[in-house]
Amino acid sequence: MIEVQGLAKRFVQGRGRRARTVQAVDGVSFTAADGRITGLLGPNGAGKTTTLRMVAALVVPDAGRVVVDGVDVAARPAAALARMGVLSDARGLYARLTARENILYYARLHGVPDEAARQRVEQLAHTLEMRPLLDRRTEGFSQGERMKTALARALIHDPPNIILDEPTNGLDVLATRALRAALRRLRDEQGKCIVFSTHIMQEVERLCDQVVVVSHGRTVASGTVAELAARTGHRDFEETFVSLAFTADEQAHGEAPR
Amino acid sequence: MRAALAVFRKELLDALRDRRTLLMVLLSSVAMGPVVLVLISTLVSGVERRAEAREVLVVGIEHAPTLRNFLERQTYTVKAAPAGYEQLLKDSQLADPVLVIGAEFERELARGEAPLVEVVGSSANTRAQGGVGRMLSLLRGFNREQAVLRLAVRGVSVDALEAIQVEERDLASPATRAAQLAFMVPFFVLMAVLYGALTAALDTTAGERERGSLEPLLMNPATPLALTVGKWAAVACVGMLIAVLSCFSFLPGQWLLRSETLAAMFRFGPGEAGAFLLLLLPLAGALAALLMAVAIRCKTFKEAQANATIVVLVVSMLPLVGFLNQGGEAPWHLWVPALAQITLMGRVLKGEALGAVDVGVPLIVSALLAAACLLYVARMLRAAAVK
Repeated sequence: MIEVQGLAKRFVQGRGRRARTVQAVDGVSFTAADGRITGLLGPNGAGKTTTLRMVAALVVPDAGRVVVDGVDVAARPAAALARMGVLSDARGLYARLTARENILYYARLHGVPDEAARQRVEQLAHTLEMRPLLDRRTEGFSQGERMKTALARALIHDPPNIILDEPTNGLDVLATRALRAALRRLRDEQGKCIVFSTHIMQEVERLCDQVVVVSHGRTVASGTVAELAARTGHRDFEETFVSLAFTADEQAHGEAPR
Repeated sequence: MRAALAVFRKELLDALRDRRTLLMVLLSSVAMGPVVLVLISTLVSGVERRAEAREVLVVGIEHAPTLRNFLERQTYTVKAAPAGYEQLLKDSQLADPVLVIGAEFERELARGEAPLVEVVGSSANTRAQGGVGRMLSLLRGFNREQAVLRLAVRGVSVDALEAIQVEERDLASPATRAAQLAFMVPFFVLMAVLYGALTAALDTTAGERERGSLEPLLMNPATPLALTVGKWAAVACVGMLIAVLSCFSFLPGQWLLRSETLAAMFRFGPGEAGAFLLLLLPLAGALAALLMAVAIRCKTFKEAQANATIVVLVVSMLPLVGFLNQGGEAPWHLWVPALAQITLMGRVLKGEALGAVDVGVPLIVSALLAAACLLYVARMLRAAAVK
């Protein structure tokens, strides 16, 4: 379970007189329960990536707190990371290593014993349907193949919590469907707590048990798809999302917020 | 510690898989020893051969039987200069000066009219210029002999001609100067170590940022310091491997030495190779850390390469301090990384023993530099992953 309370983060861009502060996140809160898929939905630049980076202890928040399975991320980052599998926005692989070597590298970093890691690779390869990829060098992998390898790498230590930052970016429709199927399996068969961010509404509609709408760096609404639609009085989820995430002014100009 | 070991194994495997880069570095470092030695030995043996030959190139010797007689009595072989010798001298294709004698030489000499002879060389042609001095002193000898004979005929003592006796004594053997080139060897070894560590250092830092693998790496429970230490150990290992190979490549290289003088001067046995390694291994570690610290600030491999050029430039300029410094070796030289190693490797080649302080000071400096750079990289790692 992941609990996020009142996260805030400000970045300073540039130096000296040209310095400019950007309030990237300004009050994001949500709770992601075990055995459920929680979608972090928001337009580009809403602060989703920064929020997930704070959850993964990569960025230290200015305010607020993240607790993963009762472990405070700020106080015990290593213990918290051991309970999380993170597929970040950047998912670079090592081109000269095979997919299997890439995955086993992370197993060693997590301290998974060699034999257990080897079994786990086979199991993940089955779940993610990537067995033929395992012993190829990752140089020249397609986007979908890269994503699968990166996901397997993030899940090698069998974490109870899974965090994915825009996992379907750059994937074609078949790869997207395969990913959705894999995530459902992880939820239903293993009861994982899954959080993923996206700006694509169909994704949320098809997959999520719970939606957290983030806009301008803060949580503006949360609930199931049906609840949110009922609250705004729209039948169409796209209309629901637009009315929740954008101000009337932004809707009139047809522009996404900064 | 366990995480650092995992990183070390992976980075080393990654570096070893980069076959092309590795092959180029290995080839240049291993082949370098023998090639440098052969070049130097060819140069030195050429100098030696010409010094032993005792030949004089002359134009118009048929007009000067007296001079010919004198030269041959000095055990010189008189040879006719090749046609177009002026051009050959200008183009540095002729390695000896040429003596030009006028057609009226013998007659003018007999009449006491001081005939003109020319010693033709070119100050731009350093090889030929070395022989000009030898030629001039030969001609001075001829002058004196003639003067002595003329005075003797007139019944004047020879002593009247010479108020003082002058003799030149050159302590350097002809090969000595050229053999000084052997002292460039430490420089080559040092650069090989630097270039060996370069690619791996940039790949583990700026390369990791460029391909977007640093962010996921930091989402592991391993601490940034453990990751940094593991990476550094792998980079330093590659640098040290190059150091070992390039040092030992000079051992078989020695058999190719053609000059006996050089072979006698350039004594490089297993003992010397060991002393070189003692100096180079800590330096390889320090340079690896330094390159990583420079590269972690850069977003791309290319940018990092441009920045690392400064490190390469500084390290390659440092040996010049030793050459340019008129006061010779100063104590502070031992406190500057790279300069210290160059200085001490030079001493090893001269056959001087290294004291504990000589080895200890650069070792401590290298360790401090490496530690400082690694702490910096570890501190920068999170910020570098996000930016």
